[in-house]
Amino acid sequence: MRRNGNSGQILLIAAFIMASLLLSAQLYILEVGKISGDTNSDALNDFLLSVKLGSRHVIIGSLANISNGGTRNILEQNLREWTEFIGSQYLHGKNTVNFTLEETTPYSSGTWLSWGTNGYGVSSAYADFAHSLAGRETNVDLAYSVNVTTALLIASVNRRLNETARQVNLTMNVLNEAYPALAKQITVYYRVSGTWLIPDFANGYTLQDYGNGTYVASFTAIAPLIDEVSVHVIDCRGIYVQANATSTEI
Amino acid sequence: MFDQKGQIRIIESFLAIAVIFSAVLISFTFPSLPDFSKQKTLASLGSQALIKLDTNGTLGNLILQRDWTSLKTALDIQLPIGVSFNLTVFDEADNAVNSEVVQNSNLLGQEVVSVQYVCATRSQAVEFFAIRLQLAWTG
Repeated sequence: MRRNGNSGQILLIAAFIMASLLLSAQLYILEVGKISGDTNSDALNDFLLSVKLGSRHVIIGSLANISNGGTRNILEQNLREWTEFIGSQYLHGKNTVNFTLEETTPYSSGTWLSWGTNGYGVSSAYADFAHSLAGRETNVDLAYSVNVTTALLIASVNRRLNETARQVNLTMNVLNEAYPALAKQITVYYRVSGTWLIPDFANGYTLQDYGNGTYVASFTAIAPLIDEVSVHVIDCRGIYVQANATSTEI
Repeated sequence: MFDQKGQIRIIESFLAIAVIFSAVLISFTFPSLPDFSKQKTLASLGSQALIKLDTNGTLGNLILQRDWTSLKTALDIQLPIGVSFNLTVFDEADNAVNSEVVQNSNLLGQEVVSVQYVCATRSQAVEFFAIRLQLAWTG
């Protein structure tokens, strides 16, 4: 009889328990949804890619500086500053980037400048990177290398026009990472009796751009003999390279 | 007496039903989960736009030249129609670099996603920047 008298209250208590269970389950689902929303592998990949791109830009800028007369230690200095900068930019965990400059011959302190007399010139920089991200939800270790190389290939022929003049043709190929690339500035020199001269409109100088990294320069040298030709190029990234070659008489 | 007990039972039953019903109603009126997939897509679009601009060094060059108009135009081209953005560039000392607002429309009142991007210039004197791109769907 007593039990029957309390059954309505038990029903109410049971209803309250059910209601609170329902609401807490709903809250739990909401919280779990929020946590899974934070996990974003795309954002992580994009961050890693942006760092990799930035590392490449730093090497390009440093090589442009070094090849235009800057000191070689600028590469290491710039990379150190870059890695320190990005170390503070990742907000979801510990972010460390280490770099090693290439020291294997022909590289020294990560750079290789070879502006030879055999018709081939190269300006190159090389570094290895180890990027480590340690966060609440991710641990990533990424290793990659960045090699930036601007190369120049030249070949020249000349033929006698008369006693004091020669027609000189010069073919140049500009390469970025072994692929044809465009030049921002090309200066051609030729050497007569130990003196370097720059051909101009008085020499009928023409420069033909084939649009695929190949350039052909033609001019008339007022000289009975041509010793050597030299080409100085600045590519579209601002990297300087030069090559010298003997002009073959035909 | 018997009738009174019955009425109380009925009232208690109604109360129990009311409690359960209110709980169900409250759970329905809970703020729905934010659409993370939509936000992720937006963040991804923003990141990809910046990566495309940065691949050939354009992003760094435009910042270096303080050419905010061209930067806004470039982002407008990269991002799909219906996406609003607001871009702020910070230097190494965390100071805002852009002297003018780089945005295509006002983001006030919109559900905004923020993308953080790091960038280095290709110039001989290399500079570093942190870019914050805020995006929202307006379409």
